[in-house]
Amino acid sequence: MVDALHAPSYLQMSAISKAFPGVQALDKASLSVSSSEIHGLVGENGAGKSTIIKVLAGVYSPDAGSIVIDNVEQDRHSPGSVHDAGVRFIHQELNLVPHFTVAESVFMGQEISGPLGVRKRLMRKRAEEFLELSLHYRLNGNKLIRDLGVAERKLVQIARALIDNEAKVVVFDEPTGPLASNEVEQLFSAIRALRERGIAIIYVSHYLGEITDLCDRVTVFRNGQDVAVLAGADAANSQTIIQHMVGRDITTLYPERRKVGKKPMLECSNLSCRPHFSGVNLQVNSSEIVGIAGLVGSGREELIDVLYGLKTAQSGTVTLDGQPLHVDSPHIAVKNGIVLVPRDRRNTGLVLDMSVADNINLASLDEVSSYSIERKKPGKIRATALAKKLDIRPDNVSAIVRFLSGGNQQKVVLARWLATGSKLFIMDEPTIGVDIGAKVEIYQLISDLAHGGESADSALEGSSELAGDDNPAGVIISSSDPTELLGLCDRIIVLLRGEVIADKPVEELTLDSLLALTTGGNVRTTDEPLHSQ
Amino acid sequence: MNNNTQSMAFDWRGFTGYLPFLVFILMLGYLGYSAPNLLTAESIDLILRQSVPTVVVCLGLAVVVIAGGDDVVSGGIDLSIPAAAVLAAAIIADQLTNHGTAFVPALSMAMCAAMLVGVVNAFLVVRVGMTPLLATLATSVATVGITKVVTASRRINVDHPTIVGLRDNELYGLSVGVLLTMVLVVIFYAAVHRSKWGMNLQAVGGNRDAADISGIPVRRMLAQSFVVASMAGGLASVFILARGSGSSPGSEENLLLEMILATFLGAAFSPRRVVTLWGAVLGAVLVTALSIGFKSIGVNVFWTGCIKGALILFVVATAALATGKK
Repeated sequence: MVDALHAPSYLQMSAISKAFPGVQALDKASLSVSSSEIHGLVGENGAGKSTIIKVLAGVYSPDAGSIVIDNVEQDRHSPGSVHDAGVRFIHQELNLVPHFTVAESVFMGQEISGPLGVRKRLMRKRAEEFLELSLHYRLNGNKLIRDLGVAERKLVQIARALIDNEAKVVVFDEPTGPLASNEVEQLFSAIRALRERGIAIIYVSHYLGEITDLCDRVTVFRNGQDVAVLAGADAANSQTIIQHMVGRDITTLYPERRKVGKKPMLECSNLSCRPHFSGVNLQVNSSEIVGIAGLVGSGREELIDVLYGLKTAQSGTVTLDGQPLHVDSPHIAVKNGIVLVPRDRRNTGLVLDMSVADNINLASLDEVSSYSIERKKPGKIRATALAKKLDIRPDNVSAIVRFLSGGNQQKVVLARWLATGSKLFIMDEPTIGVDIGAKVEIYQLISDLAHGGESADSALEGSSELAGDDNPAGVIISSSDPTELLGLCDRIIVLLRGEVIADKPVEELTLDSLLALTTGGNVRTTDEPLHSQ
Repeated sequence: MNNNTQSMAFDWRGFTGYLPFLVFILMLGYLGYSAPNLLTAESIDLILRQSVPTVVVCLGLAVVVIAGGDDVVSGGIDLSIPAAAVLAAAIIADQLTNHGTAFVPALSMAMCAAMLVGVVNAFLVVRVGMTPLLATLATSVATVGITKVVTASRRINVDHPTIVGLRDNELYGLSVGVLLTMVLVVIFYAAVHRSKWGMNLQAVGGNRDAADISGIPVRRMLAQSFVVASMAGGLASVFILARGSGSSPGSEENLLLEMILATFLGAAFSPRRVVTLWGAVLGAVLVTALSIGFKSIGVNVFWTGCIKGALILFVVATAALATGKK
């Protein structure tokens, strides 16, 4: 390992600020990286990691600050000039052509051509040599991309970025997302090989276990600023990193925790949907709020999809109220009282150009129709009552949903399902893009939902016929915000690379331990549950 | 471990890719059996001569599909190539027969007209952002209309020596038209499968984002593919005239059917299961063989159209299945 602390910086980004309407994404943030160094970049969602990477890439121009690469100030910063300065990006997506060979992919856009056209044999030889010498990996240059494993594709992607031998800085953006743990090691040895060649490496990842394994130094971002640069033992300690990442305190946001029912409502055993997740056991009691934690790619989104019938499980059983259930379409799910509040409410949760009332009644038209003809008046009365209960603003239910704020739109989605008297609510990122005030209301609503609406300030007098008011429900919340899960849930299960690695009552968890679990922060150092199979 | 389970199970997706090829071989086998003279040197010569216009328009379509990707709905397609070819044929016939123009100026005018169709397609797809399917359908209909204006919807006979020579003269036992087409195929092959331009074209069709990131000018490549396709259409006009001894309006319909059938059928011949130039050329010859075979066992012409339509559906549907729905 190089003494990175005292080496001169090859890349120096100083006091970078960048604002978007309503958000100060970067606030005098700095990042400096030396040659022959693997430099980790960590922070929670929205901390400014991806913004600073995009500023470096020339995609965003900063409002203030300077970028110096190899002692040259970059005054006209554009994607082209960044490339010329030797900065390369390994994108998260595997941008490759499936029916191209390894050699064709490596040389894509920079083919070697002679008088008789493209020199495929030479390209193959060069590609194989490069992979072996620079990335320490042997790969047949004539193999098709679609026949390669994910890690091998990643190596091809890296080779493509570096084949011109001009790279001085390489940025890896969440490179291990789709990789299995043994494949991660393959990638790591390639990255270490790059360090040996004097290249400066910026490694962006949510997986703290990888950061501590791989990185010489770590810059931690929080709220658009670099709050710490850790080196040596600190950079190898995920607890220290987490402490710098969090540093905030919010407990009053969440409703008081109430009693969990004893009756199991939903039971899933050994549910598998390869390659996304396998062997998942999940139980939700009535009046219980169960959280699902996990990074992007952990199988969290796919588990939700399977529970709601958007994807089909390959194996495993699901029972609802003791009855076996085969959910293979959302229609079956809704018929059995399982409903989804989707993460992308604008596209899949709402009909944006319909009114609040129409959106609320969308899933329960039967109740407001006679002879299949929708009666406007009862529908409107019902919707008004619900809108009042949920404090949807504006309080005019004829308002078009498109013009409501994010928080109020989410309440409309919740109101719709509240009206159906469902048993199990699945909520995917229920407060994404919602301001803090509306968050508090939504949290209260979720808690009321689980406990049959027995809230202290039951605003809805004389409307006990509204379903959802007397029958307790089960709630599953999938969220990328660990504080939200800890504040709201009774129990949390943690997914890591498609497997449940923890299923604990919330009392046994802290923010640190939950973050460590979701990010695999203590997996590699303590035990190796991932390899057991 | 994962690989094992995969290789144990039967690869249905891979198999669907081969299905059109198998069906074609079966059909040709049946035709060869019921019409034994189909496999004589004479009728093979006939098949080659007859297939020439289809082969040339297929070269054009293959370029567009390679650049646009083989997604059946949103990928690259150019329905206007046959219409451009028939327009070009009408212009040449009109100039040679009715105005006494020399061959080279007549051909130049025709090429300009055909390539104008390609430029309009490129503009609609790349600048306006229409899907190729709709854009080229529209230009195709418009082009057919223009052809009718030029020819007053009448057949124009051509007895110009160059055109007649293309059909009747032979070199090394092959017709000059067939030989010229072979030269064209080699040129297109070199451009698409051997040159840097061609590699970039394939990259654009294979994964547009990847091509973009690699610094390939994606939009320019797409636009070029449409212009090259219309150029192929323009060149095909000469062979259409030679085959039919003149230009007849309405001949674009059958050409369109055969072109699409042949090009997508060709994907079944390629080891990577994608549209290639060789595949398209081989497909064009096989499709012509099928038409001639049907004729020789006395199948009604109208039924032949019906069967071809069904085959297109079959080939395109298996392509959709083989590329895999998510």
